[in-house]
Amino acid sequence: MSDQIVFENVSKFYGDVLGVNRVSLSIPPGITSLVGPNGSGKTTLMNLMTGLIRPSRGKILTLGLTPGDPEKLFRLVGYCGQFDSFPKGLTGYEFINLYLRLSGRDADECDELAWRAIDRVGLREAAHRKAAGYSKGMRQRIRLAQAIAHGPRVLVLDEPMNGLDPLVRAETIALFRSFAKEGCHVILSSHVLHEVDIISDQVILMSGGYVVAEGNIQAVRSEIQEQPMQIVIRCDHPNTLASRFFEEDHIVEVRMHHDKKGLLIKTSDPDRFFLLMNHVALNGHRVESVAPIDDDVNSVYEYLIGGEEGTK
Amino acid sequence: MNGLRWAQLMSVVRLEIRKTFFARRGLWIYFLALAPVALFTVGAIAERHFQGVQHEAPVSGRLLTAQQMESIHTGMTRDELIDKLGEPLSSRSHSRTKFNDDGEKIRVQEEILRYSGPDRDLTLILNDGKLSGIISNSRMTFGQKSYVFAGVFQFFFIRLAVFFGCLGIFMNLFRGEMLDKSLHYYLLSPIRREILLAGKYLAGVLAATVIFTLSTALQLIAAFSTFDSNTVSRYLYQEHGLSHMTAYLGVTMLACIGYGSVFLAAGLLFRNPIVPAAAVLIWEAANPLLPAILKKFSVIYYLKSLCPVQIPLDPGMPALFAMLVSNGDPISAYVAVFGLLSLSVLVLWASSLKVRRLEINYTTE
Repeated sequence: MSDQIVFENVSKFYGDVLGVNRVSLSIPPGITSLVGPNGSGKTTLMNLMTGLIRPSRGKILTLGLTPGDPEKLFRLVGYCGQFDSFPKGLTGYEFINLYLRLSGRDADECDELAWRAIDRVGLREAAHRKAAGYSKGMRQRIRLAQAIAHGPRVLVLDEPMNGLDPLVRAETIALFRSFAKEGCHVILSSHVLHEVDIISDQVILMSGGYVVAEGNIQAVRSEIQEQPMQIVIRCDHPNTLASRFFEEDHIVEVRMHHDKKGLLIKTSDPDRFFLLMNHVALNGHRVESVAPIDDDVNSVYEYLIGGEEGTK
Repeated sequence: MNGLRWAQLMSVVRLEIRKTFFARRGLWIYFLALAPVALFTVGAIAERHFQGVQHEAPVSGRLLTAQQMESIHTGMTRDELIDKLGEPLSSRSHSRTKFNDDGEKIRVQEEILRYSGPDRDLTLILNDGKLSGIISNSRMTFGQKSYVFAGVFQFFFIRLAVFFGCLGIFMNLFRGEMLDKSLHYYLLSPIRREILLAGKYLAGVLAATVIFTLSTALQLIAAFSTFDSNTVSRYLYQEHGLSHMTAYLGVTMLACIGYGSVFLAAGLLFRNPIVPAAAVLIWEAANPLLPAILKKFSVIYYLKSLCPVQIPLDPGMPALFAMLVSNGDPISAYVAVFGLLSLSVLVLWASSLKVRRLEINYTTE
């Protein structure tokens, strides 16, 4: 069985409206974030992966299985969608337990799995209350519990951090990491970019239904050749260093930091820049730190898609 | 079906039964099912308490013969009446003001005597001790009551109550969950969509059957509760009563199966229930006018032939009613049951093709 999630030239149109177009991806295990503004196609991609919608063209294989084979696929996949709704009248426990029963497991096993999932999201005390009456954060957590209850190898999460308080958010991130560590896929969408930056092994940047970049954030950043990388250097003699940098043709811009103890450099060739920094250090200049400031997903996203369309 | 699929099917039924029986938005279905029960119950209460002295007559041995009933005429005195008819079952007297032929106000003593015959009741009005009015009310016989029941069953219960009840139950199985945005939980479970469809349908049939067969049973009890136990026992065990009642319950169940499959399919195809409801209602009503081959694609075509009491076509009956009750092309019970079940299976098979390609797009709901 393949361990990849593969999209082969997948397109989805809602009538005349484009959902996603010509998406070809191969997603390895780990935490993968889909990043893009509203309407960029993140949810469409997730719904396609889980068979809630069908592609107009192309093929999707999740660990070698198609969405047309739900009996096998959904033993391996858990999806926590954006729909903040529950079947009427069910408590949190019933919501998880009764849907687990659909897999054909016996009552005792479902009971055990349901409580284990409820414990993982910290909702044991509220488990016998009606799920529809939960707070937004609790609703998000019980839906997450429902998605993980059967122990999936692929966890698909649409905006999973919405409504979570900082403590639960940190616990949830830890939960995702533990899944990834076990060799599972965690595919999540988000527009909270700093979170994506922190937790993702790889990102898929989307805009207008197209995948505009994919890979780990640094790799994606290095692919953007036309956009100079910004680097902040903290050092004791910024003037001397600045004059040295001006001699290099790949240095596009040098600006003095307002406290006169650092420089903001823009370089079109980061590799040559870091080589240069080695020489500088060897020649006796004291450099406290060298830090790229725009290899986070936010910067990458803005470079690729432009400020106007930027994320929320 | 293997053990896993059976367990999955039962899990769907378990989940759906909760939603179907205890849904607040399905409350009107219970009212619809109970409406004919209320109708027969109110009728029975009225018969028993407001007109119902006739039950005392056979017991007290004061049932008039037809000859006695024919022997009275206006102008007879009270004593003459008592001589001929015996003591009344009940009597009530009071004085009231009347106008005489000259237009003058006069006070008269009015007395009302009630008698009962084998098939009708007599109300005799005496003014100042002389019989001035005879009111004869035919009492409904068991046969007549069974026609009334058949009429209510065919006109109202099957064609409207069960029809719209099934519309409410079965259209909601998929459409309701799309409106609630909760259908995706099913579609993300490791279960074939055909099993999901079958489970939902079974749960719907179970709910509809329980609600409507219970209603049929209660209607039968209410309708025939005005008759004494001997008459009812004779009807049940010596005439066709038991088979009629079984047939009514069976027809109700088959109606739930047939209309259930149709409205389950409609719920997958239409967003607005009014469109399929109107279309199917017209199609069912127009069944007698359809060509022979198309008649077979109608639920009522089979149900009509299974109804145990055919309503007699009265010349004064409105044309629409006559069309609805006429059964110009009766078929045997076996063919009717087989035909209706086949039609339901066909519709469910078509629904399974649709559900396999079903997509979730809540934003357009």
